This record gives sequence, C-alpha cells and structure tokens, in this order.
Amino acid sequence: MSYFSNISSAITTLVDGMKVTMGYFVRPREHVTLQYPDEVWPIPTRNIGVGEIESYNTIRSKLVVDFEDCIGCKACERACPVDCIDIETFKAGPDEDIGTTKNDTKIKLRVTSFTIDMSECMFCDLCTHPCPEDCIHMTPDYQFISNDNVKLDVTPEERWRDRNHLIYQFSKVSPIERAQRQAEAEKVAAAKAAAMEAKKAAAEKAAATKAAQEAREAEQAQTAAATPEGIGVPIAPSISETPVVQTEPVPVSTPTVESASEPEPMEKIEVPLETISTPEIPEVKPVTTETAAEPETQTEPEDSSKGETENG
Amino acid sequence: MIQLLANWILSFDILSGMGNSVAWGLSLFIVAALIFAFVAVNAIVLVYIERKVSAFMQVRLGPMRVGKFGTLQTVADALKLLQKEDIIPRSADKVLFIIGPWVILVASVVTFAAIPFSDTWLAANMNIGLFYVVSISSIVVLGIVMAGWASNNKWSLYGAMRSAAQIISYEIPVGITLIAVVAVVGSLNLQTIIQEQAGTGNLFHWIPIPLPNWFIFHSPFLFIAAFVYLIGATAEINRTPFDIPESESELVAGFMTEFSGLRWALFFLSEYANATLVAFLVSIVFLGGWQSPFADYQGTQIGFSIITLVAIMWTLFVRAKTGRLSVYPLGLSLVITISAWLFPGFAIWMASPGIFWMLMKAGSIIFMLMWFRWTFPRLRVDQLMYVSWKVILPLSLINLMGVAIWMWLTGEIQF
Repeated sequence: MSYFSNISSAITTLVDGMKVTMGYFVRPREHVTLQYPDEVWPIPTRNIGVGEIESYNTIRSKLVVDFEDCIGCKACERACPVDCIDIETFKAGPDEDIGTTKNDTKIKLRVTSFTIDMSECMFCDLCTHPCPEDCIHMTPDYQFISNDNVKLDVTPEERWRDRNHLIYQFSKVSPIERAQRQAEAEKVAAAKAAAMEAKKAAAEKAAATKAAQEAREAEQAQTAAATPEGIGVPIAPSISETPVVQTEPVPVSTPTVESASEPEPMEKIEVPLETISTPEIPEVKPVTTETAAEPETQTEPEDSSKGETENG
Repeated sequence: MIQLLANWILSFDILSGMGNSVAWGLSLFIVAALIFAFVAVNAIVLVYIERKVSAFMQVRLGPMRVGKFGTLQTVADALKLLQKEDIIPRSADKVLFIIGPWVILVASVVTFAAIPFSDTWLAANMNIGLFYVVSISSIVVLGIVMAGWASNNKWSLYGAMRSAAQIISYEIPVGITLIAVVAVVGSLNLQTIIQEQAGTGNLFHWIPIPLPNWFIFHSPFLFIAAFVYLIGATAEINRTPFDIPESESELVAGFMTEFSGLRWALFFLSEYANATLVAFLVSIVFLGGWQSPFADYQGTQIGFSIITLVAIMWTLFVRAKTGRLSVYPLGLSLVITISAWLFPGFAIWMASPGIFWMLMKAGSIIFMLMWFRWTFPRLRVDQLMYVSWKVILPLSLINLMGVAIWMWLTGEIQF
C-alpha cells in the first residue's frame, strides 16, 4: 500500500511546488534586481554638524580639485596621511602673470602636475581643511567608472599601471608644457651647478695653492689638508643626495617646525643649489613662510564658524 | 502542402514550363527550408521565453540589457556561438564527433515533416504519421551516444549512457499511451486524429459539462494518459526533472561537455526542437490540434464570458488572500470577451480551426514544460527507473485496457 501512498504524495507535493512557482510567476515583481546603470540607490544624507556646507553632509567619496583655484601650496599633500596626493610645481618668473584665484590670491607657482591616487585615498577629509583656497573637496560621487583616466598625462607604458592605481590628474597643464618647464628648470639648475662647480674648483685651487704654500712653509699641514676634502670631494662628481642632509640643519633655525620640512618638496631642483650657495636660501624662504602661514590663518575662522553653527 | 505549392508555382505563366517534377522538387526544398527556419527561430524565441519564465519564477528580471527587455539577448548569443572557436579534442573520435550533433539535429527536425500545423499546412500527409514521429524522434538517442562516445571523456560517456537508458525506458510507456489513442481513432494518420476531435460534447460522454471533443476529455483513462504521456515525453527530451544525462551538478554538461561553438548550438537547437515537437504531439493527440475549442461564434462568446467570470473570481480570491491585485489575467480575458461580443467577425475567427489554435495549444504545453523545469528537483537514476518501470508503465497498460473497456461500454465499438 505504500506504493499507492507514495504515488499520491508525489502528486500532491508536485502540485504544491507548482503552485508556489506559479504564485511567484504571476505576482508583480516588487523587490528585484536593481538595474544598476539605469537605476541607482539614493545616496544617504546625514548631518554631521558641519552646517550648511552640502558636501560635508553627504557621504565622502571622490576627491575633486578645482584646479583654477589651486596655488600649489602643497598644504593638502602634507596633510594627507597616506601620501596619495602628488603635486609638482615650478616657480613662475617675477614678471609673469599666471592668474588669480576666486579669493583674488595671486598664483605664484605653476602647478604642472596634480595627481591624486584614488586607490590609496582613505576618504579621511583631512586634506580639504588646510586648503587656503577651498579648492580641494570631497564629493558624494562614488562611481569611479569614467573615461577621465584616459586623459592622464602618462606614457603608454605607464598607463596600465595608472589604470590599476586609479590615479587622477587634475592639472590642466599639457604634457608638452610640463616637459618644457621641467627642461627649463633642469637647464637653470645645470647652469647654476656648473657655476658652482667653477666656484668650487676655484676655491679648491686656491686651497691647494694655499696648502702647497703652507706645506712648503712648514708644520701646519694637518689642518690644511682636512678642509679641501670636506668641501670638495662629495660635490664634484654629480648632484648627489648628500647635500639634502646638509640643508636640513639650515632651515631648522627658522621659527616653526612646519616650514622646516617645506624646502625639500617645494623646488626639487633648487635643493642642491641651496647646499652651497647660501645667498639663495632667503629668496626661497618668504614663499614658503607665506604659504605655510595662510592655511593656519584661514582654518581658524572655519573652526570658529563651526562652533557658531553648532551652538546656533 | 508540397503538392499545393507545386501547383501554385506551376500556375504562373513564366514558371509553368519547368515541368511537374521540377516544381515538385523546388517546392520540396522550399518546405524543408521553411521547416528548418521555423525550428531555428523557434529555438531562439523559446530560449528567451525560458530565461524570462525562469527569472519570473525566481523573482528575478532575466535578460534586460540587449534590446528592450532583453528581447535581442538570444540573437546576440546565437551570433556569439557562431563566431566561437570550433574545438575538437585531439583524442576524440573525429568522425563521430562531427556527425553526432548533426544526427541529433536531423532527427529532431525531420519529425516536423509529419506535424500538421493546420488542415492544409502539412509537409507530408502520411498514413503512419504518429508512428513516423515516434520512431524518428528516437534516433536522437543514437546521436547522443555517438557524441558521448566520440568525446573520449568520462562525463560525456556517462551522460550518453544515461540518456540511452532513459530514452529506451520511457519509449515504452509513451508508445503504449499513444496506442490507447490510436485504439480510439483507428488510424495513425495525424490529420485523421485531429479531425476525430472536432465539435463539442459532454465531459466523458455523460457528465453534462459542455467541452470540446478532445481526447483528453474522451474518458478518464485518456485524461490520465495525457499526463502520463507528458511525463514520459519530458523524460524523452531530457528536460528537468529528468535531465540526468546532462545534469550540471554531477556530469559537467553530460554528452555536450566537449562541444563548443556551432556544434553546441546544434545540441541546443535540437533540444528546443524536441520540446516543441512534444508540445505539438500532445496538442495533436490529446488537445485537438488545430481545432478550435469553440463550436461556433456563440460558443466563443459564452466560453470567454465563463473564462472572464472565473478570472474575476480568481482575482478577488487572490486579493482577499494576499492583498495583491494581479490584473493581467483579468484584463486579458475581459478584452477578449468584450471584443468577442462586440465584433462577431472576431468571434467567428476564434471559432474557426487554424494555425492560431495549434500554436496556442503547443505554446501552453511548452510553458507547462518550463513550469516543470523550474519547479521540480532532478530525479536520481534509480528513482528515474522506478518511475518508468514501476509507475508509468503499469499505468499506461491499465489505461490501454481501460480505454478498450470504456469504448465497449459506451458503444463506440461493437464486436
């Protein structure tokens, strides 16, 4: 008898199953797959207490730079905890007019490259606050799919790497102009280095003749031999990294600690020049101190406004 | 149909000089091409419908990107399959590997020669039509065994062996079930079988419910026989729940494992051709083929009114039970009913036999097969054999005897 009960139970269970599937077939489809490129979930909004600034009250996602307002101060690059921002600047000539920002600040540095590596960015928002011109900010755009990557000014060999690393280039300077600037700066640096070498050679010669004279004269040979080696030997072959170590003690004497680290990234080519030509250091300093001072003065009122809005 | 086409070709003054035999050959070729085109287009449409039906049964949307609502998805898939690399494994039996898919395709396409789409749309009006269809469609198993053996792959061979065992097992109940119908008609001609089912009558001859004279309503035995045949045919065409020859979870893809590109597409084509063939056969043998379910246009109007009433009641029932309002069946039946009452021409067209009814019946059977496929889990091999030899075969034998006794009791045959 289990034979017939098996058959009847098979029929009833099959009919039950068919009822279920037919129910789903006829039912209007309410909760189904999101058709992603056509439909998008609404971005959640929240109030984190910053006030009316809309971009702060949404989720923080893609970093965007309004490049027209960037003055190349590198405040954001220094603030970034993961070093995903990379800025390359060249000093403009004294009578060149590059333009002004929306805050009527005169731009003194040519920003030839402003890249943000979005694969490393951790969306901490720390870079947006130090910016003196409010030109770098986070947007709620979380979709990193775009054709903008194609505009990257990289060689075809590097493009694959950059696609992988989601590096965004914000600088409007063309690659050709950038190469020109780099070449110019290298030329200037080479000229200065050559001038310095000549100066050094002269100094060496003088020292050598002096030493020879002194050796001929008599017993003070030890002190005379030590001085030419200390100055001449490491610098003569090429522009090596050792001068950087020598520069560090020089800016330490300046009042703030922030400005101490500035001269290194500011002008990479000028760094070796500073090593020996001491008169050039004061020329660089005013630029760095200005840029370092501006974010400090501007972030303070922001903080105070935050406090007001919170209280209000 | 071929003779009609030949006569039509010869009726033109320009072409009349070609002679009767040439016209016959030309029309033969045209009809063959038409049948193959029907099979190919049918497969493309059915794959799309199957994907949509499965998606709707699983609360998904199915293909949506290619074309509006993904309508061109299968066309794109077919184009992709045509471009794919044709791989023949090095250690495969090359001749059998190449012939196998074609044997399957030819076996499944050739059977359509005997299928009457309407009273005139019929390639070959054979007096042994049913026998021809059943016998030719079993050649498919030969191609499957060829493909599985030639692949030189254990999965393929297992799939082929299972398929052979399954098709041979289910041929017997299916054949006996069809014999029950042949016993009623007294003919193997498919057109005669359809013409026997014309008109309307009572359910099982004596229950006073007016229903068409289809064989599914002929007697309780044939009513069961229709479902027995549907189950057996589902097993013969290797569809779920009887798809152990190509069960994805056990044998990678069964006998299709080593095939790619066009050859794989041929398997797919023949699979859907076989499904369509089974649907046509069910609708011919049990559902009246191209006969309309309504006797005349008044019957159409009344019939659709009853269907609308049922739809209204069903909608209210669903609304009371689940709180949802599903308006599509109600709306469709309302539109048809109102147009049937307003336009007698539409009602007369609905009441007249034709290819429309044939395709409607076959389509609903195909939907039923899809419904089976996306509901039932796969049977184990021993369960499959149990169902075939211990359940369906005795049932079909009982049906055969029962039909004979029924006809003697109702006086349809006298000794």
